[in-house]
Amino acid sequence: MKPALFDYYRPNSLDEAVGALAASDSSKVLAGGQSLIPAMNFRLSSPSLLVDIQGMPEFGALTVDSGGVRIGAAVTQSTVERSPDASAAVSALRQALRYVGHLQIRNKGTVCGSLAHADPAAELPALAVALGAELAIHNAGGSRLIAAGDFYRGPFWVDLEPEDILTEAYFPAPPAGTVTVVDEISRRAGDFAIVGLAAVVAVDEGTVTSATLVSFGVGGKPERLATAESAIVGFDGNGASDALYDAAFQDADGALDDGHATAIYRQEALASVVVRAARAALDSAQDGRRNS
Amino acid sequence: MIRHRASHLGRSLPRREDRAPLLGKQQYIADLRLPRMLEVAFARSREPHALITSIDTEEARALDGVHTVITAADLADVETYPHYILYNQPVNQRPLAEDRVRYVGSPYAAVVASDRYVAEDAVTMLSNSTEYEPLPTVADIDQALAEDAPRLYDDWEDNRLTSLPSETPAVRRAFEEADHTFTETYTSQRQTGLPLEGRGVVADVRDGHLTVWSSTQSPHIVRTTLAKMLHIPEPRVRVITPAIGGGFGTKTHVYPEDVIVAWLAWKLERPVRWLEDRFENLISAVHARDQRHDVSVAYDDDGTIRGVRCHVISDLGSGEIFMPGTAPTFVSGGTITGGYDFANMEVSYTCVVTNKTPSGAYRGFGSPEGNLVMERVIDRVASLTGTDRIALRRRMILREDQMPYLMYGGGRIDSGSHAKSYERALELIEPAAERARAKYADDPDVRIGVGYSNYSEPTTPTYHLTTGHWAGYDSAVLRIDPDGSARVSLGTTALGQGTETVAAQLAAEALGVDPENVTVIMGDTERTGYGLGAWGSRSAIVMSGSILMAADRLLVKARDIAAHMLEAADVDVVLEDGQFHVAGSSTPTVGWAEVATAAWARTVDLPAGMEPGLETSGYFEPPDLQHFPDDAGMLNAAAAWANGSHAGVVSVRVSTGELKIEDYVVIHDCGTVLNPAIVEGQIHGGVAQGIAGAMYEHFQYDPDTAQPRFASFMEYLAPTCAEIPHMTINHFESPAPDQPLGVKGCGEGGTIGPPAVVTGAVSAALADLGVDLTATPVTPSAVRDAIRSAANGGRS
Amino acid sequence: MTASGIGSSHVDVAVTINGERVSHTVPARLLLSDFIRDVVGLTGTHVGCEHGFCGACTIMVNGDAIRSCSTLAAQVDGSTIRTVEDLATDGQLSPMQQAFHENHAMQCGFCTTGFLMTLESVDAKDYQEHDQVIELLSGNLCRCTGYQNIVTAVTSVWHGEEAGG
Repeated sequence: MKPALFDYYRPNSLDEAVGALAASDSSKVLAGGQSLIPAMNFRLSSPSLLVDIQGMPEFGALTVDSGGVRIGAAVTQSTVERSPDASAAVSALRQALRYVGHLQIRNKGTVCGSLAHADPAAELPALAVALGAELAIHNAGGSRLIAAGDFYRGPFWVDLEPEDILTEAYFPAPPAGTVTVVDEISRRAGDFAIVGLAAVVAVDEGTVTSATLVSFGVGGKPERLATAESAIVGFDGNGASDALYDAAFQDADGALDDGHATAIYRQEALASVVVRAARAALDSAQDGRRNS
Repeated sequence: MIRHRASHLGRSLPRREDRAPLLGKQQYIADLRLPRMLEVAFARSREPHALITSIDTEEARALDGVHTVITAADLADVETYPHYILYNQPVNQRPLAEDRVRYVGSPYAAVVASDRYVAEDAVTMLSNSTEYEPLPTVADIDQALAEDAPRLYDDWEDNRLTSLPSETPAVRRAFEEADHTFTETYTSQRQTGLPLEGRGVVADVRDGHLTVWSSTQSPHIVRTTLAKMLHIPEPRVRVITPAIGGGFGTKTHVYPEDVIVAWLAWKLERPVRWLEDRFENLISAVHARDQRHDVSVAYDDDGTIRGVRCHVISDLGSGEIFMPGTAPTFVSGGTITGGYDFANMEVSYTCVVTNKTPSGAYRGFGSPEGNLVMERVIDRVASLTGTDRIALRRRMILREDQMPYLMYGGGRIDSGSHAKSYERALELIEPAAERARAKYADDPDVRIGVGYSNYSEPTTPTYHLTTGHWAGYDSAVLRIDPDGSARVSLGTTALGQGTETVAAQLAAEALGVDPENVTVIMGDTERTGYGLGAWGSRSAIVMSGSILMAADRLLVKARDIAAHMLEAADVDVVLEDGQFHVAGSSTPTVGWAEVATAAWARTVDLPAGMEPGLETSGYFEPPDLQHFPDDAGMLNAAAAWANGSHAGVVSVRVSTGELKIEDYVVIHDCGTVLNPAIVEGQIHGGVAQGIAGAMYEHFQYDPDTAQPRFASFMEYLAPTCAEIPHMTINHFESPAPDQPLGVKGCGEGGTIGPPAVVTGAVSAALADLGVDLTATPVTPSAVRDAIRSAANGGRS
Repeated sequence: MTASGIGSSHVDVAVTINGERVSHTVPARLLLSDFIRDVVGLTGTHVGCEHGFCGACTIMVNGDAIRSCSTLAAQVDGSTIRTVEDLATDGQLSPMQQAFHENHAMQCGFCTTGFLMTLESVDAKDYQEHDQVIELLSGNLCRCTGYQNIVTAVTSVWHGEEAGG
């Protein structure tokens, strides 16, 4: 399984990178390549030009401040996972990265690469949506910012034109008083999720006051669970969780049906994951582990 | 005549095979480099059933770096594959599809180029220019057997490759007399052996001799078949196996790629290589296990099973493979009763062809599928009659006083520890079940269940059932060189199991030398006697038998030479710690070097009239192995039957169907154990593949289009370390009375238990929800389906 | 060069591999696994899937374990690479290699080199819990051993445990 012919280019600046993408009619940005190279080996993707940005210093920055974590396009998943500062600011990054592939993939694969690849069953896109991440996109004509919530359109389909580069992702620290939970059901260690949830849950005195709930693996892209976000208000872990379960079940209507699981399974499984995430959030809050 | 201080057998001698692979120096097929070697890539059908109406090779041929492109027309002088099994419909397969393709992945053209990258570029061009006229597809058993099913082979009446119905009066009576009956269908899903190293072939011609290196389990079989199909005298064909990165049965077949690469080298007179990539491996190396058992059971109120009718139907894909994939169907049907005493079985067999990858051998070879049926039936009868399922098994399990036991199909179990093993499994699993219950005591969403499997494992089977041609022997050629070193050449092959180490132990034992002084040669048709290869858990028996046979002959001669040198009578000479001496007198001695020097060099020192040389052979046919059914249709198709009892604790989360094997126990009896560590390694590996089949691996096709749903590791779920539980293994040794050293085979037993254990455990865990699983793989989605279905009033 | 004049079909790859500097001009599309095996000639690194799942091709680049089948040779220009051939010293097996041998943690050996490189690339002190070892090992597939003896081999070296679990 060898890739088709292509030309390879290592730009030395952002201008050179976007210039190359604009000049070629079939080009792809190469960062870690952990999604792209396998796809090219299967010849599912055969760009005629690869623009390798992984060595570029302007894309290699991982910056942490009190507001959040700024991740450049070439920053590997391992770098973020290993950064104590990043985990302190946005603990959810490490929570999500724990599920992503295996060590060897994370050593080369990039956070921005995963965000742009938009596998429906991937963890990082859903986390980006849940945290309200902001994505910076550059091309030869200029730049723009887009909210993660507006970025995902469908399976492997994002708001990126062929000449665009996703240059940076900014993950804001979740608000004080919240707990972030990333949970999934997968068949094997490191697999993409059958169903998964990235949640930011606001807890006050043992009760959920609001939540942002984003599923992955259920539909063609990360989905806000609107009904469950309503039903979860007032959840305190006591008594029945049926209302929350049913709401999440309803939100997952139209779930994917494939060789791994049926649609109704995904609905049931997601609903269960939402309930257990809600309980986990309450437990964390009780243990004093809310975001501050 | 031999006295030892310490035996080499029964010891976990560390493997001599390890050093090279640890250092990264082991030579697998992909590591072989020949000067001016060309690379082959195949164009493979993307249609499951179609006529190929045009292939345009012009653009591909013109590509820089492409040497040639061939299609079926170029292979007109190559024979079709042999058709030996006359009760099968003939497939008349040619190596490259001519004008009709019958599965996605079927090769129809080959590109020869300077490297694989360029070859694939040419294949892409070819594929883009190939035109198909799609034909109606057949995607599963029901479609294959439907009234007006499209036929894969126009000259067949239907899509049945084989059909062997059966009727047994005793069983008919049982159904008339029993208190109750039920019917059920049990299903084992399509899987594939998936060795981590794909297939590979290198071929070269020098001085009119064709040498083929192939990652194959059976070099002599490949050689004979290639010689026949390519019309080359057999002495001019040599097949060599390099180190093999796993076989598991997948590499026992003689594939189109073997023939085509050999032919290309023969015609081009340049070395040619093909290395299978993972995509090719998933869609064109043989599949397995795709079987359905339609079962009726007659039983009484007290739980006694009175009769069982079973129709085994297997989906063999397009059937375009040599040797055909029919045998696992018969093994499956013939081993259903496993470790239990039950005679009233009536089994019919149907093998159908469909538009899927051809099926063939995979470790377990039908036994896992058969065992699943028995264990599920026992649990069902127990449940329906309110009988305890553990007690019911105890009533039915084979006892030592029943040996030799004749199974319903003719399998002759001459020894075994079935009952003892079952009790030991129960003893070990109960505390594990307790631990699991305690672990989840505070989580009412999680249920715990235990599953059981008691099987008899056919080892060292007849190859005649599989091939219609070869039978059951294997060979050892033994030689002592003038320096006293021993060399044993074997007709079987090494796939990574540690064969070489065990062979050295055997030869050392037989000759009274150190295993360090034994050189083992395998996998080269020019340097070994004809043999059938490694499969069917046969190596322990056939190696023991052939090595001992050759050794006995060699020892007679060696002793005569030694006696002559010691000026003593033959009968007075003994061999002790590698030295010959007169019994009762520790000196003088002569060693192997002196004896061998006399035999090969200083022949003047030989007894008068003795033929020079110190080399013998043994072509060993295992006793008790039958190759043809008798008039009553009975066939003991395995020389020795190992036995095993598995038990597993599984936790199941009701709300999500997530399941986990908390603990797994194997009680294993393969007769005399030659190397305990190696036997345990085989059990670990077998159980892991069994669990893969029970829970994870499923090669899926779209039922409407017969297209594979996927062909990558992302979706074909080979288990990782995290999915395989720790296994506790205990052994018993019931030596085979008629086999050399009392050994039995041991490679496949691990695969047999897990499907029954996992389905049994999950069903037990969820029994109060009405769940009774009848199929694998047991996935969280399948568990939830079963729970939902039972709640809606249907049985799952 | 493409029609647009950007990029090239071949690249210069200069790396230090097992302490030795090598430099080659190769096609841009050459996979790192093929570069190591066919250009440099070190065949201890094996190819099992070419899509980043099985781990047989695991090597170390700048100290990190990566999958060489999912990497272009072009991407590692200027890097320091280690492969399995670097583990033994003057023919003396490393403690982990020795542990694999003593614990029968290998059968066909095809996956072994990938496991060894994964293990070599990490710090044992980060893997003192059994679950952490299992998770680390889950990135390499094995079809022969059922993993049990591999786990024993690793824990015998990293946790000082006796064999025979």
